[in-house]
Amino acid sequence: MKKNPNPLHLERRGLLKALAGVAGTTLFGGLPFRAFAQTASLQPADRCFVFVYFSGGWDQLLAFDPRDPTVFTPERISETRILPGYNLINDSRFETMPLVPEKNGVRSNIAFGPAVGQLSTHFDLMTVVRGINMNTLGHEVGYRYFNTGKRPIGSAARGSSTATEIVGQFAPVVPIPSIAYNIETYNDRYPGHANALRVSRSRDLLDTLKASTDVLDPEIEQQLLGFRDQPTSCEAEAYAARGVGETYANSREQVQSVLASRLDNAFRFELAENAAVRQRYGLASSGPYDNEAGRAALIATALKKGISQCVSINLTGGLDTHFGTQLTQANNQRRGFDALATLVDDLRTTDHPSGDTFMDHTTILVFSEFSRTPLINANGGRDHHLSNSCLLMGAGVKHNYVFGASGDLGMAPGTFDLRTGAATPTGENILPEHIIATVLASANLDYSITRVEPLKPILA
Amino acid sequence: MRRLVAVALLALAPACSQEEKAPAPPMEGQLEPIPNPHGSVTPLPDPELQEGSVGRAPRRITVAQLQTSILTTVGIPWAELDGGLGTTLGRADYANIVTENIEPNLVFAKFLEDGARKVCKARARAELDIVDPTARTLSRNIPNLRDAATNLTKLSDAQVTELLVYLSTRFWGAPLSGDELTRWKSLFTQVAARAETVRARDQAFAAMCIAMMTDPRFLTY
Repeated sequence: MKKNPNPLHLERRGLLKALAGVAGTTLFGGLPFRAFAQTASLQPADRCFVFVYFSGGWDQLLAFDPRDPTVFTPERISETRILPGYNLINDSRFETMPLVPEKNGVRSNIAFGPAVGQLSTHFDLMTVVRGINMNTLGHEVGYRYFNTGKRPIGSAARGSSTATEIVGQFAPVVPIPSIAYNIETYNDRYPGHANALRVSRSRDLLDTLKASTDVLDPEIEQQLLGFRDQPTSCEAEAYAARGVGETYANSREQVQSVLASRLDNAFRFELAENAAVRQRYGLASSGPYDNEAGRAALIATALKKGISQCVSINLTGGLDTHFGTQLTQANNQRRGFDALATLVDDLRTTDHPSGDTFMDHTTILVFSEFSRTPLINANGGRDHHLSNSCLLMGAGVKHNYVFGASGDLGMAPGTFDLRTGAATPTGENILPEHIIATVLASANLDYSITRVEPLKPILA
Repeated sequence: MRRLVAVALLALAPACSQEEKAPAPPMEGQLEPIPNPHGSVTPLPDPELQEGSVGRAPRRITVAQLQTSILTTVGIPWAELDGGLGTTLGRADYANIVTENIEPNLVFAKFLEDGARKVCKARARAELDIVDPTARTLSRNIPNLRDAATNLTKLSDAQVTELLVYLSTRFWGAPLSGDELTRWKSLFTQVAARAETVRARDQAFAAMCIAMMTDPRFLTY
């Protein structure tokens, strides 16, 4: 199994030095923050991952697999079985044609649906995979399939989440290696350190990072802290032997580090010190920040502050639009893509301590459980469709690149020579496990759990 | 030589005859003897090969065990464990997570500290109003805690020892002794003096409770 070649270390000695500083004052109040930060500042992981889930099954005609409405006209429906329906959105914020942006004289090789909006300007960091065969029309099966890279048994997930695989293999030295925000997370073979901290809202994360409000008299706190620093007895050592005690002791040191660093303040976007975050992500002056923009700000903070290596997030929902108008789907997608665009803006303009920008150290996978039918149903909505597409961005993948395609007849999943990406009737389907294998391979991680080869043309 | 061989055979004869002796048939009403189902005893592994200890490695208690332990030792439950916090601390839901995570990781250490503070402070405060010492858990051998005449700094060495031995047995199932007892007594003396100074007697017991509940002996077995 390959390991991270340059794991970042939060030195134990540094932590102990910092704790000594903490011991000089109260436990949770009046901490020598500057001194602590100098000795025990958290380091961002050298390689970060973001898994962005669009919940409900997206209309890929509006996202990453658009069609030209002048070609796929209502008159040709019986021939193409595809109706882009961009004119039905009827909102000036959405183009009526696929977007093909241009930047610094370079034209995008990727066409985007109208809902992608501002995110499309980051085409120079993207690979889009089209024509993925999801083999399911069930929500749970679809998102678990993409979550683990293994086809579920019935609707039950198999294997570990990809984020768990990543932190299990990297074993990063960050306080909370993996955060799963309103998304399922699985671990079937790694120790507990690989488990994601699963939160349903931003407040859950704050509760983890903030100091307890149940404090004792400051001097008693100090005495308690001093007592804990003393050497333990033989009996205590025996209970703490062989791993569990050392892990617990390290965890307690980490807790002190996290609390002393007041990492919760990094996620309290209402604070004056986070005005720049509020401004960048368009957040209100007071929380809670449980909307798409708030979630994107949370991702950026977790990665940039060195709190997490992987963030899996249910960024936006409301996409299961069997009824209603095209505008509902487009609006819901747009909120997610706009937040994602701001996140990418942020990551590509923030320097990483190891050099380059954060985006050069981050791989983002954007997916949904399946797509929606290329034809509009009798209720004005779209139903579940087998073929799917996804977006890969950032480190380890080729940029401004499209792999695969869906068919021009009913957007059927295609068959391809997966070694080259060329469409061929004798080729294979692109499956979610190919995407997950590619994500793992992009960081030189072991992808054998997927039992497939990665899509090598995508790898940078 | 022949004589020597004959003597040797004669010496071995009783032993051979004893080994070959068939067990007496069971008498009326007597159970038939059964062979030892456990076979031969496997010797314990060399402690030197296991970092000085034998047997299985200690494990962290599960969330259910933690919940019961807190209720048993302190006397009041940590209510949040019934909600989402139990899952956060590692409890399996048998839908998405089928194996309980018993690693004492950062999240566990953080919330155990929070939980210890919550229940210990609440219990210590409540015990101030419990007149009968035997109904208390954290201050079992201290007379009336509300009494102005009671002063934790004036407790005799024997009383402090009794208190700490009681608490350690209650929290860990093992009484404090030796040098470690001296260290804990020193802690109690310090926190008791401060608690008396700030007129918050309950904080001394809360501090001892927090220290014991966050000790590895409380959360491992």
